[in-house]
Amino acid sequence: MRRKVLRSGAAVLLAVLGGMAGCRSAPPAKRLVAIITPPHDNPFFKAEAEAADAAARALGYETLVLSHDDDASRQDQLVDSALAKGAAAIVLDNAGADASVAAVRKAKEAGVPSFLIDREMNATGVATAQIVSNNYQGATLGAQEFVRLLGERGRYVELVGKESDTNAAIRSKGYGDVLRKYPDIVSVARVSANWSQTEAFQKMETILQGNRKIDGVLAGNDTMAVGASAALLAAGLPKVVVVGFDGSPDALAAIRRGEIRATVLQPAAQIARTAVEQADLFLRTGSTGRPEKQSVDCLLVTPENADRFGIFELVRK
Amino acid sequence: VSLLVRLRAVLALALLVAVFSSLTPAFLTQGNLVMLAKHVALNAILALGMTFVVLSGGIDLSVGSIAGLAGMVAGWLIHDGLVLRPLGVVVYFSAPSVIVIGLLVGIAVGAVNGLLVVRARVAPFIATLGTLYVARGAAMLVSSGATFPNLVGRADLGNTGFPLLGTGTLLKLPAPIWIMAALGVVSAFVASRTPFGRRVYAVGDNERAAALVGIRVARVKLAVYVMSGFCAALTGLVIASQLQAAHPATGQTFELSAIAAVVLGGTSLSGGRGSVGGTLVGAFVIGVLNDGLVLLGVSEFWQIVIKGIVIVAAVVVDQLASRPGTGTAPGRQR
Repeated sequence: MRRKVLRSGAAVLLAVLGGMAGCRSAPPAKRLVAIITPPHDNPFFKAEAEAADAAARALGYETLVLSHDDDASRQDQLVDSALAKGAAAIVLDNAGADASVAAVRKAKEAGVPSFLIDREMNATGVATAQIVSNNYQGATLGAQEFVRLLGERGRYVELVGKESDTNAAIRSKGYGDVLRKYPDIVSVARVSANWSQTEAFQKMETILQGNRKIDGVLAGNDTMAVGASAALLAAGLPKVVVVGFDGSPDALAAIRRGEIRATVLQPAAQIARTAVEQADLFLRTGSTGRPEKQSVDCLLVTPENADRFGIFELVRK
Repeated sequence: VSLLVRLRAVLALALLVAVFSSLTPAFLTQGNLVMLAKHVALNAILALGMTFVVLSGGIDLSVGSIAGLAGMVAGWLIHDGLVLRPLGVVVYFSAPSVIVIGLLVGIAVGAVNGLLVVRARVAPFIATLGTLYVARGAAMLVSSGATFPNLVGRADLGNTGFPLLGTGTLLKLPAPIWIMAALGVVSAFVASRTPFGRRVYAVGDNERAAALVGIRVARVKLAVYVMSGFCAALTGLVIASQLQAAHPATGQTFELSAIAAVVLGGTSLSGGRGSVGGTLVGAFVIGVLNDGLVLLGVSEFWQIVIKGIVIVAAVVVDQLASRPGTGTAPGRQR
């Protein structure tokens, strides 16, 4: 029996391999833009993918929207697939600053330009553009609001993102550079909650076990801010000032409810659209007219202006 | 009916190929099929090692972590070299020796799995779940969670050439395809033509009976985990070589794809029944699904749902076809 399976399996594979010899890939009718991002269960990535998708369709392109699950090997395979399908350009939120270089270079060697959004890559001259939000500027913006809300004095906890992620370090540095100037603002704890809501909730509970005298929590992203806020509410400490980063729909809702006091919105949708527009320009003229590295400023969201923001973009000025 | 069941993976594969090639002209092209085979190779290499473990009645959950660890060790040796502080020297290894060391890491973790199962009598599921965590943590520790970039090596250090393992080509086919093919042929031969292969089936069939006829069960079990560790490390090295970078999270959830390929290929999770050829076909079924759904532009969430349905459907066919009472009798179909 076992041998039969082997033999039949081989027969089918041979038939398949034989069948392919005569075929060639047909050129697509419309030019194709591949949009590759981390998984859409995070509204941030969903928003940027949808914004890029809509912008590309509006400019008359076909689109291929893919997700690499933050796995560089999977990303490599998706880039292969996009190239095989004849993509003219790739809009990519990459799966690792170092681990993505080979895939983007492969696309470049195949004559397909890549436009990186949200996350930078540790190489220049490989991608055509790298458009990211200015995390440092955003962090100083959030920290200044945090200082104002605390009245320039108090004891605070910082929840840091995943240590291996460059944005976690940049944001933490931005926070530190502002807070250092205020001697009456004292750090109680600085822990990593790996961008995770559950972890932030648990770490906040643990910190509160040892110390209930906390005036503020400064989180490296909104998911952690929401988790910390839940722990603070459960502990009967609703007055603690929580400030996040990202501008996620969850955080915006929490700001409207008064549970979180401020966040810094990354205009992800706008960045994605800009990338598509530059891709279109590049395909038509051979140049984006812009430097490879571009940064877009973040925006402060407070209870007063929260209603002007949509999903990762400023809707009404 | 029995023949139909045995061939279900092949039928599923043929069906998927027919569906995808009718839906998108880009599917059945030479370029796409070569690419598909290159993608399948990663899971297939893992699944080949896993096949022997499952045939022996065990399971190896640690393969994804071993892949990650082996890649990280290779990345570390190429990028930083081995720093011997007391001697004040840094030793750089040539690309082939880096690959050998990476494989030895996999063999070592596999041996730990085997010893836990054989000597400490820990259930394979638990033993390899433990090493899943330990190996993943170790991979993170190698670099404190960072990625080793740019693994092309330096000519003056004599450690260039590592990327060839994943990106080299022979007769226009990428190296991973050759590795998968070679490993597949060797595995099929070992499973069906050698005394060792027969012993693996016997142990999975009925461990006590195998021991009674004089098979050294412990040795067989140790060997299958070592083989699985070797295959996992090889996968990790190929990935690091393809990406020219080693990332500590590489290989997360790979164990599930590998087990899916083995089960789709008709190998029984209770051991003693199955084949290497089936596993390869199973790996191709998953690969065709992965790439085909991407080419079609199916949303990622539907991709996950469809993959799950195909895997379960294939096994349901198996269950329906094996009659109650005799259906679970091990070794019935050999």
